[in-house]
Amino acid sequence: MWKWIKQLDGILRGDATRLPALREGRIDMPVGGVVIVAIGLAVIYGLCMGGFAVIRAAWPEPGVTVEMADAYKQMLASAVKLPLLFCLTLLVTFPSLYVFNALVGSRLSTLSVARLLVAMIAVMMAVLASLGPIVVFFSVSTTSYPFMKLLNVAMATIAGILGLAFLLRTLSRLAMVQDAIDFPPSESVTEGEDKAKADEQKTSSALDQIDSNTNQNASAVFKIWVLVFALVGAQMSWVLRPFIGSPDLPFEWFRSREKNFFIDVIRSIGELFGA
Amino acid sequence: MKGLLLVDDVLRARPWLVRGGDHVRWLLIVVTIMLVFGALYGAVMGSYSGARYQQILYSALKVPLLLAATFALSLPSFFVLNTLFGLRDDFAASIRALATTQAGLTVVLVSFAPFTALWYVSFGGYDSAKMFNLLMFGIASIAAQGLLRRFYRPLIQSNPHHRIMMWIWLVIYAFVGIQMAWILRPFIGQPDVPTTFFRTEAWGNAYVEVARTLLRLLGW
Repeated sequence: MWKWIKQLDGILRGDATRLPALREGRIDMPVGGVVIVAIGLAVIYGLCMGGFAVIRAAWPEPGVTVEMADAYKQMLASAVKLPLLFCLTLLVTFPSLYVFNALVGSRLSTLSVARLLVAMIAVMMAVLASLGPIVVFFSVSTTSYPFMKLLNVAMATIAGILGLAFLLRTLSRLAMVQDAIDFPPSESVTEGEDKAKADEQKTSSALDQIDSNTNQNASAVFKIWVLVFALVGAQMSWVLRPFIGSPDLPFEWFRSREKNFFIDVIRSIGELFGA
Repeated sequence: MKGLLLVDDVLRARPWLVRGGDHVRWLLIVVTIMLVFGALYGAVMGSYSGARYQQILYSALKVPLLLAATFALSLPSFFVLNTLFGLRDDFAASIRALATTQAGLTVVLVSFAPFTALWYVSFGGYDSAKMFNLLMFGIASIAAQGLLRRFYRPLIQSNPHHRIMMWIWLVIYAFVGIQMAWILRPFIGQPDVPTTFFRTEAWGNAYVEVARTLLRLLGW
């Protein structure tokens, strides 16, 4: 367990994605344990999120009665759903990423992409879980349901932006490393080291053009994918709702299909300031 | 006397408060300053209704509590963000800069305490007392921010990312602190309401209340 946390720490510190670590043009960090730590962190944040229901049931507003058992169920549901949310979002977005990554001729292997995504999710979960105490504090001190919804959306947005920024940064570093490594092998195998270096200097500008084309394509794919990931994640959270549990509605594992995430965010802003 | 010299060191942003020296001594100094000076200003704040010792005691407890609780809640996310921005090795120095700034804030507040007392004596209204304290906290926060910049200057020189982190800290801290101050009310104590540690009514949310008040004023 401690080893896994150390691995996550290495990702967060950037040790795993420093240039020497990426020297081979692929990502070699061990991610098996990190997955488990990331799930653990997601569960922690889920508990923080679902805590609102328990706190509201324990200290109900006058005239409102909430079943304590339902509140605990809500907390449990949130703790299960939060890791699920990220897994499902990845599941939905990964196939197209894989296909387009291969189509544009990116040199990043599928395994490396998968590892990179695990690292990205781990970064997101670490940030999200670290914001958990603030969410609990507001759960305790506020009775406003729309406020809690918007607060959680804001927290998830912060975590999402940082995770996706981590992904794009690492990719651009990979591209940099690959630029430096990938071209001269044919020459450097036969010729001496210095000659190879000189050749690299000479040839890189010409090759650079071609190479940076494929890199640009690959990075465009990832940039678009980042946007898709954010949209899918937001809508997935809507499909999996309730995470917080409206105090006016009975507990359900899932709500019926209606509207979408973005409409509800706008409506919540209205509710917060209006009524 | 030596203790007061340490307070002077805080106000002058001496570098040893951030780097060097042992952590334990630093912690003792900063916590003591925060407790003593925070409680002092709190006591003055709570003296609005004259000799209501309970309110004075509660307010004296609440000011250090407000600062400490806000600090503790903001810390985890600040830690993770620092790590992500590659500033983990400086984390101890960052924390020392931030906590020392909090101690400095309480010292600034205490220097305003005579004004607060004079205000209480000369103007009666509860609302104006609230506004005056808000103003004092506002000015003290601005002064403390100047202190924080000075503590952070060497850090920013070593890595410009520290500048971003300083602003992120201020945003997180203010976001939590405003709500914390709201739920820890009353700090002053309405004269015609019996003294309680917390308000008896539902806590509510500072941001929702402020937004509603604003919209009401705008006639929505």
